[in-house]
Amino acid sequence: MIIQIVIAMISTLAFAVLFHVPKSEYLYCALNGGIGWAAYRFCGNCGFGAAASSLWATLVLTLVARVLSAVRKMPSTVFLIAGIFSLVPGSGIYYTAYYLIMNQLSQSSAKGIDTFKIAGAIVLGIIFGLALPQSWFNHLGNLFDKNKKNKNEKQSNTPQQS
Amino acid sequence: MSQSKEILNLSVSIGEELLKSGAEIYRVQETVERVIEAYGVQDYNVFVLTNGIFATVHENREDAGSMVRNVPIGDVNLGKVAKLNQLSREICQGAYSLKEAYIHLEKCKNAASVSNMALVLSCGIGSAGFCYLLGGYLIDSLMSFFLGMLLQAFLLAAGKRHTSKFLMDILGSALVTIGGLVLYILGLGIQFDRVIIGGIILLMPGVALVTAIRDLFNGDYLSGGIRLMDALLTGMCIAIGVGAAVKTFQLLGGGTLPL
Repeated sequence: MIIQIVIAMISTLAFAVLFHVPKSEYLYCALNGGIGWAAYRFCGNCGFGAAASSLWATLVLTLVARVLSAVRKMPSTVFLIAGIFSLVPGSGIYYTAYYLIMNQLSQSSAKGIDTFKIAGAIVLGIIFGLALPQSWFNHLGNLFDKNKKNKNEKQSNTPQQS
Repeated sequence: MSQSKEILNLSVSIGEELLKSGAEIYRVQETVERVIEAYGVQDYNVFVLTNGIFATVHENREDAGSMVRNVPIGDVNLGKVAKLNQLSREICQGAYSLKEAYIHLEKCKNAASVSNMALVLSCGIGSAGFCYLLGGYLIDSLMSFFLGMLLQAFLLAAGKRHTSKFLMDILGSALVTIGGLVLYILGLGIQFDRVIIGGIILLMPGVALVTAIRDLFNGDYLSGGIRLMDALLTGMCIAIGVGAAVKTFQLLGGGTLPL
């Protein structure tokens, strides 16, 4: 399980590089990917189906992406697209089209419907995550900024006092 | 050129660059509208599609301007999206005059990107990781790693020649499959399908599919339809590449594969 999460983080990092994410955000993208995969596996262990697990994992992932975007002052897409890559039903699309080409039509349509269900669940997760008002996240970002400023002020104050 | 046309040109150029880099439709639309507003134009209309931007300002006045841009679907570049987002935010705060904004836009356009070597390596790592997450063993991951690097190297080489995107998808997935078949013939105990899916994960239109449905839910039906079509066609092309290679292998007497 932990190995899987680490591997999810590493591959998210790799995709972040492929999508030209700014270098300063690599680590946060990886973190988000790891959290998303952990949530997905957790739901799977609780007996959820693939679609329901994807929904919850994406919801968690979107919320984390929005918090990160408020804190790091970046558009949330940066964290969302990179983080979501491990959940996206790439293999489903592959199997659907592959069975179609190989003339195994019933398997193809079963896989196709599965893929669309998962894609739909992911989208619902994103939409629920994006539905929360932006002001909450801005507030979080402001809180974080204040903490940072206080720290900086303390740091800059100490040498003057000494 | 009157002032309103320059404003329009700037905002649509920013929007075009955003759209090319893979930003969402609503983000592009909002950015273009805000930049136009930031320079004091109140009467405007903007319409954004996945592969085009249409905008007009001051329709009822002497200095009316309109602009249409065709924007082909390009590579995702989130770094550019972030930079342009920052630029438009600064423009809205009134930080730049029109000329300064143009200079900053050029800077964003020509920002340094990741080196090819890093791209190839990270594609390999991503492929290996994905293969493992799909349930592959370590040996499968290792093979996926090499196939992923092969694919990215091929795409970079083919990208220089402006080959059609669909041809690149077909050839790329065929290349990966042939590589996988060679490994299979060599007798390495690999799980063939997982290795191949790991290897071609870069081509997979998974993100495009999700973006398409997101656009549909946002009410951008046309944009969602365009992206959905793109995702399905890409998926078909990948399957054609893989299917052709596997079928040929079977016809040559290779027997059935454990798929």
